[in-house]
Amino acid sequence: MATKGPAELLPGTLDLLVLRTLVRGRMHGYGIAQRVKELSNDVLAVGESSLYPALQRLLLDGYVAAEWGTSENNRRARYYVLTAAGRRQFAAERDEFERIVTAIQAVLQFA
Amino acid sequence: MRLARRLAHWLRLSEVDVDLVDELAFHREMIERDLVARGMSPVDARDAARRTMGNETIMREESRGVWIWPSLEAAWQDARHAALGLRRTPTFTAGVALTLALGIGANTAMFSLVDRLLLRPPAHMIDPAMVHRVYLYKTVEGRERSTGGQYARYADIARWSTTFSSSAAFGLRKLGVGIGQDTRLENVALVSAGFFGFFDAPAALGRYFTPREDSPPEPARVVVLSHGAWQRRFGGRADVLGTRIQIDALQYTVIGVAPDDFVGLWPFNPPMAFIPVTTYASAHAGADWPTNYGHAIGIGMIVRRKSGVTIAAAAADLGAALGRSFQAEHDADPRSGLPTQLRPRAVAAPVLADRGPEPSSISRSATWLSGVTLIVLLIACANVLNLIVARAIARRRETAVRVALGVSRRRLFGQLFTEGLVLAIIGGVLGMLVAIWGSGVLTTAFLPGRVRPSLITDWRTLSVAVSMVLAVAVLAGLAPLIQIRRADLTGDLKASARDGGHPRSRLRTGLLLLQSGLSVVLLVGACLFVQSLRNVRHVRLGFDADSVVEVDLNMRGVKLDSAAAVALRLRLLDAAKGVPGVVHATLQESTPFDGETSWPLFVSGIDSVRTLGEFDFNTVSADYFATMGTRIVRGRGIASTDVEHGRLVAVVGQLMANALWPAKDPIGQCVRVAADTLPCRYVVGVAEDIHSQSIDPEPARFFYYLPAAQWHPQEGGLFVRGRDATRLLEPLRSRLQREMPGTAFITVRRLGDIVGAALRPWIVGATVFSAFGALALVLAAIGLYSVVAYDVTQRKHDLGVRLALGASRSSLVGLVVAQGVRVSLAGVAIGCAIAAGAGRWLGPMLFEQRASDPRVFAVVIGVVLVVATVASAVPAWQAARLDPKSVLQAD
Repeated sequence: MATKGPAELLPGTLDLLVLRTLVRGRMHGYGIAQRVKELSNDVLAVGESSLYPALQRLLLDGYVAAEWGTSENNRRARYYVLTAAGRRQFAAERDEFERIVTAIQAVLQFA
Repeated sequence: MRLARRLAHWLRLSEVDVDLVDELAFHREMIERDLVARGMSPVDARDAARRTMGNETIMREESRGVWIWPSLEAAWQDARHAALGLRRTPTFTAGVALTLALGIGANTAMFSLVDRLLLRPPAHMIDPAMVHRVYLYKTVEGRERSTGGQYARYADIARWSTTFSSSAAFGLRKLGVGIGQDTRLENVALVSAGFFGFFDAPAALGRYFTPREDSPPEPARVVVLSHGAWQRRFGGRADVLGTRIQIDALQYTVIGVAPDDFVGLWPFNPPMAFIPVTTYASAHAGADWPTNYGHAIGIGMIVRRKSGVTIAAAAADLGAALGRSFQAEHDADPRSGLPTQLRPRAVAAPVLADRGPEPSSISRSATWLSGVTLIVLLIACANVLNLIVARAIARRRETAVRVALGVSRRRLFGQLFTEGLVLAIIGGVLGMLVAIWGSGVLTTAFLPGRVRPSLITDWRTLSVAVSMVLAVAVLAGLAPLIQIRRADLTGDLKASARDGGHPRSRLRTGLLLLQSGLSVVLLVGACLFVQSLRNVRHVRLGFDADSVVEVDLNMRGVKLDSAAAVALRLRLLDAAKGVPGVVHATLQESTPFDGETSWPLFVSGIDSVRTLGEFDFNTVSADYFATMGTRIVRGRGIASTDVEHGRLVAVVGQLMANALWPAKDPIGQCVRVAADTLPCRYVVGVAEDIHSQSIDPEPARFFYYLPAAQWHPQEGGLFVRGRDATRLLEPLRSRLQREMPGTAFITVRRLGDIVGAALRPWIVGATVFSAFGALALVLAAIGLYSVVAYDVTQRKHDLGVRLALGASRSSLVGLVVAQGVRVSLAGVAIGCAIAAGAGRWLGPMLFEQRASDPRVFAVVIGVVLVVATVASAVPAWQAARLDPKSVLQAD
């Protein structure tokens, strides 16, 4: 285990991460949280208290849709899937994010 | 799209909520499973999972919050929560709601009255801000006085002013309408044809009269009926047009009917008909009426400014026109003053008379009474705040628990605010009932005997009431926040009654001070007014107003020669004496409190009697003093033997006798009336003094009596004394009407009503102040009681310890009462200071009563302290009955 705890998420990136995890297919809330943790090698942690409100926001915006299904352990679970609008939004947010990161790196390297 | 999703979400709200709970539970179980898989014990895993999840309530609320507009759902929940909470504490709820009801109700009723008098423009008037009532002034003998009222003057100013797009003359008269027994005095509006153009109120039937019909030299005898008169007198028939009705001296042809709610400028005295001002003027003067400046008929003028003309420019224009009119008058009659001497001045005042330079006494008292009702509202608010803060403190633990359970502070605030709103709404609804009742009382007090427009069923009053409710709701909702803001979670959670004396909150003590202080102010006002009303009632008027009926003759242009006029009066006198219930009757020529008759008086040996004061007189017949109940102090009254060609006699008042012949016997002295060349009239008696003009002392006003037979026996009416003046009115009127020639008619009034009008300011002041003073006292008592009772509950533990340690129960009562009374004492001191300061301002409205009367202050202080003692003694007594054992064991 890393000695450092999970890093704080940059503001505004939570939606982007959630959308990213859903690109490969449907997933429930717990799965999304785990996936982010895995993909980031335990560096990023999505707090439950911000995850669910974020999911509701994405539902309201129409970027994701929700459906009830059965989980790996045969329990009723709520799965989220990316909508077409969600895919477009993800692409747009990712481009924007990369542009900013590139810019920040450029500034940092200059020093 | 978002909207559609939101709506869909809302449609399956309860389902969504269950989904969220389910989803979060699933999440928690998954964490748990992972942890167990990593070797944690199931129990530890469950706890760890719960910790990871944190506060699920907040999470759920936030997730749900995403969907909510302005927390509609929360609002509904809060309202239900509030209603439940309020039902659990009925005493609190009733106390607050009643307090608010009284405060809001009183203010709504008062507003509705002030609105009508001072704020609301005349109904249907087009752009009332541009319309002005014109006031004209001239300076005579160094003093400026109001002038105008003649048709000729109005016509001049209308012709010569240039800054107005329209102008109109108006007046309101009580005129006899109808013929014979059906004749009644009614409000009739005299208006020029342009008057109707100021309003957007097309005639309901027929038409209004035209400028051509309203022009010299031969104006048309046409009338426009009010809608009410059309319904009442003509059953709303369409063929009323062309009908003729007798109004005053002339017959008028009906040419139109005004719309239903058209009352011109007179909402409180709606006219029954509108006639051309020129027709009225022509009937009351000679052929030169259009240019006769000496013929005042008391008409006013309204004007509409052209756009872009300032009010100052309008006034200057009117002043210039008035100057030109003075010049024209001087050219026609060189005896009249020049404009340079008369210094014409005009004011373009707001169209509402009570906003202008000459407001009625009604509106003045209404204005200061609104101040009184505002104080009541202030006290009510202080009381409500106090109760709510007390409740918030009592619920500190509950609040802390809920915060710990994850209720967000925003949500908590929402709930408290909703509670305040619900309370305010209950109070507001009850307040409306109070207002309906109160406005009835107010209109009776302020506008007796007039048509009473229903005062509060209109949107203006309602919106004022609603904004008051909202203001109170905000106040009531915000008050507990002060408590929440300070809330210290752990402290509050652990808190129990054992902490004993919470420091009493400064806010609450301040509110208590405010309440008792303000109620002292109102009570002092109440006592002063009640006292002065008592003084007013104890004034000996010098006659018995309540038993006497005044009979007035309205000749309506019927001309009788002087012998016939004398005969008519004697016939009426005889007829009156024959009416059952009549005790005495007399001829008279002037009525106390309703005008005066005055002629120059000459007394040998005194150079200038005029400088001594005003000498008014009445011309009366034999039974006068018995009829009026005025006592003869010396000599005799007027007798039936004082006939036209007999010895000329007079009866004088006591003050007059003392002023003219100090240290001499007045009997047998000679006075000459009207000219010093006329024969002597010898004083045969001295009568007690009467108040002839006002209740106030009349030091330089003297009164004397002449036999009617020896003055103008063909003029004047009657006074009739009956066992029951009220029941005498109609039989007397109908009997006397039978004697009247042609269209002439009789009117009857109770002298008591005429005098009563003069008493009204004091009656209104005393009634309203007493009612509100009592109200304030009750509110202050409720406030004090609730605070002391609350303190006692808070200090239960402390008091229990004292009891257990051997404190006597009476000392405990003393302790609690002393605390309550101490706060009131401070409030009383503040209130007395304010009342003493306000006395200067109140003084002129009182009758023979000093505003700083120490007796009044002593009584008020006594009453307030007694009430304070009782209000704190009740909870103190409850405290003394505490069982120390059970108190100490509690918690």
